[in-house]
Amino acid sequence: MAAFTERMALVQAFLLVLCLGGTWAVDKGNFKTCDQSAFCKRQRAMKPGESPYRALLETMELTNTRLTLQLINDNNKVRLLLELYRLQGNMTRVKINELKPLKPRYEVPDVLIKEPPTEPLALLSQDENGVVLSLGAESQRVIVSARPFRLDIMEGHDVLMSLNSRGLLAFEHLRMRKDTFSYKVTSTVASVWDNVKRVFSSQVEPDGEKKEDVDPANHAETTKEEDDKIEEGMWEESFKSHADTKPNGPSAISLDFSLPGVENVYGIPEHADNLKLKTTENGDPYRLYNLDVFQYELYNPMALYGAVPVLLAHNTQRTTGIFWLNAAETWVDISSNTAGKTVFGKMLDYVQGSSERPQTDVRWISESGIIDVFIMLGPTPRDVFSQYASLTGTQAFPPLAALGYHQCRWNYNDQEDVKTVDAGFDEHDIPYDFIWLDIEHTDGKRYFTWDSHKFGNPKEMLQGIKDKKRKMVAIVDPHIKVDSNYKIHNEIRSKGFYVKNKDGGDYEGWCWPGSAGYPDFTRADMRAWWASMFAYDQYEGSMENLYTWNDMNEPSVFNGPEVTMHKDAMHGDWEHRDVHNLYGFYVQMATADGLVQRSGGTERPFVLTRAFFAGSQRLGAVWTGDNAAEWDHLKISIPMCLSLGLVGISFCGADVGGFFKSPSSELLVRWYQTGAYQPFFRAHAHLDTPRREPWLFGPENTALIRDVIRQRYTLLPYWYQQFYHTYLTGEPIMRPLWVEYPQDQATFAIDDEYLIGKDLLVHPVTEEGSRGVTAYLPEKDNVWYNVQTFQKHNGGQNLYIPVTMSSIPVFQRGGSIIPRKLRVRRSSACMENDPYTLYVALNQQRAAEGELYIDDGHTFNYQKNEFIHRRLTFSNNILSSVNLNADGKFTTLSWVERIVIIGASKPNKITLQTAEGQESSIEFDFDASMSVLTLRKPGMNAGEDWKVMLQ
Amino acid sequence: MRSKVMNENWHNFLRLIFSMRFHIVVATVFWSDLVDSRKIRGISSSYKRFYREKKSFLCIDGSKMIPFEQVNDDYCDCQDGSDEPGTSACPRGRFYCTNLGFRPHYIPSSRVNDGICDCCDASDEYNSPARCQNSCWNLGQRERAFVEGQMRALDEGLRLKQQLIEEGVLLWREKQAQLRELQQVAEDLQLKLEEHRRKKHEADQTLKALQSSDSGHAGYNSSAVGLFNLLDSNKDGSLSVEEIQSKVTFIRDETRVLTEDEAVTLLGGGHRMDLSTFRNTLWDILTSGDSVKIKDMHSGGAGRLVGDDPHLKAADRAAEWEATNLKKAEESYEQVSAEISELQRKLAIDYGTDWEFLFLNTQCFQLQVYEYTYTLCPFNQVTQKSSAGTEVSLGVWGMWSGSANNPYSQQVYENGEPCWQGGSRSTTVTLTCGTETGLRSAKEPSKCQYIMDFQTPVACQPVLKQRGVHSEL
Repeated sequence: MAAFTERMALVQAFLLVLCLGGTWAVDKGNFKTCDQSAFCKRQRAMKPGESPYRALLETMELTNTRLTLQLINDNNKVRLLLELYRLQGNMTRVKINELKPLKPRYEVPDVLIKEPPTEPLALLSQDENGVVLSLGAESQRVIVSARPFRLDIMEGHDVLMSLNSRGLLAFEHLRMRKDTFSYKVTSTVASVWDNVKRVFSSQVEPDGEKKEDVDPANHAETTKEEDDKIEEGMWEESFKSHADTKPNGPSAISLDFSLPGVENVYGIPEHADNLKLKTTENGDPYRLYNLDVFQYELYNPMALYGAVPVLLAHNTQRTTGIFWLNAAETWVDISSNTAGKTVFGKMLDYVQGSSERPQTDVRWISESGIIDVFIMLGPTPRDVFSQYASLTGTQAFPPLAALGYHQCRWNYNDQEDVKTVDAGFDEHDIPYDFIWLDIEHTDGKRYFTWDSHKFGNPKEMLQGIKDKKRKMVAIVDPHIKVDSNYKIHNEIRSKGFYVKNKDGGDYEGWCWPGSAGYPDFTRADMRAWWASMFAYDQYEGSMENLYTWNDMNEPSVFNGPEVTMHKDAMHGDWEHRDVHNLYGFYVQMATADGLVQRSGGTERPFVLTRAFFAGSQRLGAVWTGDNAAEWDHLKISIPMCLSLGLVGISFCGADVGGFFKSPSSELLVRWYQTGAYQPFFRAHAHLDTPRREPWLFGPENTALIRDVIRQRYTLLPYWYQQFYHTYLTGEPIMRPLWVEYPQDQATFAIDDEYLIGKDLLVHPVTEEGSRGVTAYLPEKDNVWYNVQTFQKHNGGQNLYIPVTMSSIPVFQRGGSIIPRKLRVRRSSACMENDPYTLYVALNQQRAAEGELYIDDGHTFNYQKNEFIHRRLTFSNNILSSVNLNADGKFTTLSWVERIVIIGASKPNKITLQTAEGQESSIEFDFDASMSVLTLRKPGMNAGEDWKVMLQ
Repeated sequence: MRSKVMNENWHNFLRLIFSMRFHIVVATVFWSDLVDSRKIRGISSSYKRFYREKKSFLCIDGSKMIPFEQVNDDYCDCQDGSDEPGTSACPRGRFYCTNLGFRPHYIPSSRVNDGICDCCDASDEYNSPARCQNSCWNLGQRERAFVEGQMRALDEGLRLKQQLIEEGVLLWREKQAQLRELQQVAEDLQLKLEEHRRKKHEADQTLKALQSSDSGHAGYNSSAVGLFNLLDSNKDGSLSVEEIQSKVTFIRDETRVLTEDEAVTLLGGGHRMDLSTFRNTLWDILTSGDSVKIKDMHSGGAGRLVGDDPHLKAADRAAEWEATNLKKAEESYEQVSAEISELQRKLAIDYGTDWEFLFLNTQCFQLQVYEYTYTLCPFNQVTQKSSAGTEVSLGVWGMWSGSANNPYSQQVYENGEPCWQGGSRSTTVTLTCGTETGLRSAKEPSKCQYIMDFQTPVACQPVLKQRGVHSEL
């Protein structure tokens, strides 16, 4: 799907001229820099120094589960309330809000899967300078320093993380506007009212309120506030022709984090940039603000379609994470400071080691809301993934078919076109699972409808696809055509479900259908209604093999500021400003709920989204938006998906072939070879590009593409097991090498190769005309096997691999067992009962281990124990399958047809022992040149216990 | 007699289909082989000889020898997949659907027992939950009816094509005759043209002679004097700027009045000019007639210019007459030449070996698809008109673009309306055999690239004799 500018050109002729005349890149002028975003400019103008905040230790309250105390800003006397929690699983939560905000400030709902369970906090010591609290058993402490206020989290003698150590805590308190007539009236009224209230409250609640009355600081607060200067952009600002009225005035927040000993930080997607984050001192901070960016540029910190405010910090000793739970526009500054460290408080003096110690400083700035930050203390990468998963959940376990190949294009023109493309796959013997329909399938961009000429009989079309055991995805975007003959619009309008503009009317923007309303997905009742629209009797022409794609859900508003919604639009009592980054998350949530509900809660949904937030992993898949058919875009797909995986969103992919422009056949083939080894594997193309179904580039390229799609299908058992694993643990499927080898510094900046799970290492070819790639093979004491040739390579080296057009450098780790299904059929569903081939790759100790996961592939019955989960182990010349799900209630027809042991020596005899204790001899074949032993047709059922003994 | 012909055609047609799709290598098969062979699933009778039951089985590519029990035992032993013709075990295997009553054909092994019915005799789903019905007989019936229909259509198409070829030949001849006629006309015109040129030249000569020698010096004089007097409106014996401006004009732009500077230039740089200077300067300029002339030369002025000499008058009229005639002759010659080159251009187009496509070049064909009306004018252009009324060119005649063995199966129209993202619209027209001539479909699979299906009897090809192909019908 395209971004704004280009399609707008169809309606706005002047833009067409701009597009044709300009170069092929984003028009940066459409998007704000930090300087153009008033709060970012204001906050960034504040330099590190002594914080004006002081902790009022006398206000400290410590209960079993939390500590609260007040902070005061000595400059304006505004008080904040700090809450500190110790969470289960080695996490600390720090919340800071105004003690008495003029009106409530937004706290992000629905992202945490539950209120995080706490653990007791214990007071270790306290004096006038601060308090020391114990964080559980691991000698971890948090030190609250009073003057100036700062937090230090320590383990033993090491500072793991410091908050406000650079004094950048800022909290723009809500205030009345003073330069207007209405302020003068309301402030007078308010002071009268305050006086009245005081009189009454002092009688009703003599304790609390009275105390406040006599508090001199509080008194000072009211006087001091009037001295606050009014800076430009506090009460209104404009960008290009768009005004933001900002009726609540300034409300930004900011906090700095220091990470001693850390040189590598990752995460905070979505940016088209390297995996390892860069320092931002010489440019803009990384921006998190969901935007529909037309023809985005690579290697810069500009905001893209989604935002996950999670940053991971890593060094050889420890991995930690910071989850900044705020949905407003956010900027993240990163600086690396090995010298010039700030002076620690006296309680920290003794930890001062070498002044050469590297340090990374991170500063978060958000436009509104509160500070609510989760500090994940690891210490291993796995621990951080599990900690984050315990907060926001894990990747939704998708239907198996969704891991197959997806064929998409804007647009397949009509039912006949769909039929022809479907038949093309069979004719060329290429498997696929999903064919996709973009916006043109609808009746005039009215979602949930079909073009009556081109798609006059959708059920017939869906049945045709179903007959091949395949599926379809149709797009449903959140902008709703304003048209009184359109049922969806009428219902939303009559129920009052639209987002409102600042004046209280329905907000209207311009998008594909022309004038459009935007349903308020932050409302639970709206989401429930939206979900009900996916019922088979509501969504006409839909069937159980029709799934959904949510595009443009940043939301994209063609004529809005930065191509999105006005920040002063209203979602009930909240401004769009507060909830912006959540919109796409909620759209996908409501849609996924709809797909679950239409099946009566039995079938797993599949929903692809372009916009996302923390927690979106629970709802489906994401893709990297409107990329281009260029080699650099192929290259960037790796770090972009790696960054998403690190923050829980494993089901990630990029448009294979590139969305804009036309790929050369070499680029297209290389992109298929890369995409086949990424979690979400979908080809997509822009409306204006020539057709590019896999068979349109000559027989040689067809064969290359066929081969790699078939490789994907043989590996589906492994992919599926990885998704099950990430559903349980939150670990990324596509993962950077450092996640598996956290002590190997050589891996820290690698983002041109990656692991799938822990057993497959992939180094895609992403250079034009490449004759070879250099892949880093980690683990000095292990070996890696080329999956195509079985050639063995030692770990701990940079290996040059010569490549041809058919080469995809993929290596299986010594010590792993990978199940495959080699009988590639038309679709994944056709392969359901097919037998497995086990690839046992031996390590130096002649051992290996792997897993096998099997279920029905599409229902939620796995949550009722209806699955097979087995551990496969090879050691002492015995390969065995052991049950990991003892009370599993699932049986399979699949059996083991072949076992390939790589790095083996030739045995004399091989015996199979079944669960019943029966023994039989197994035929085998040994290839001495590659040390590959192939066991012929052992034949046991894949769900049973068995042992194979080599003698 | 008629039915025998039909039968032959029908077989030829089937052979064509089989040879195209399956490339079956045919070996003579003896009935005794079939009796000897065990029932092996998924092979054609022509391959049965490889599967005669023995102790062992040699992969057909000769790469490996395996025990015979391992044939179709659901494990792939042979690289070429030949040991598993009846299962899905081999990645490169193929399964033979016998499809008694319909056409036999191969499917990839991966479609055996995948829960989808591929063979109409249901033989591919022998161990699957799919409930497949044997539909071969119905399909066969339908196909036979279809093929018969196709054959009838082909016969009819070929008959019509023959007619059209004949018409094409006539049309071609007609056009050739037309061309020859035009060329003859052109030749005649050429002669006339020369005649007119000669006559004009003569008339001009006569006129000149009369002007210079016939009337002698006096004539010359009086003529110069006459002109001088004509210009000298106030009769003061001298020409002024105003007099020049009022009487002299540009030949190329008679409406424009000379500027003062221009008049001064004509007066040799001064503001006045007497008769003797006039005779040697301006008189020559005016009579040469390449830049300026006397106003109303042809109506009133000319008479006065040539004076009252009747001979001179007649000669002048004759010269004028011949000039007009020459111009007319030139015009008609140019027109005929243009017609000739247009006809030659059209005749230079390849209209097929027998000019069978020639009749299309004067016609246009329309088809309504959704909100668009497509118009194909063969050998000319393709257009698309939206219901809103805007018409867009989808290309002008480019060339034939069919395959080497049938170049007349496809046409390309290029350089239509430019596209937003660069390039221009183009249309590929595929010609198929049918009894009627018309557009059957029009699509835009990719932006600005259109494809059309155009049916016409002249696209019908007689079925060629095929080499011996075996079918299992």
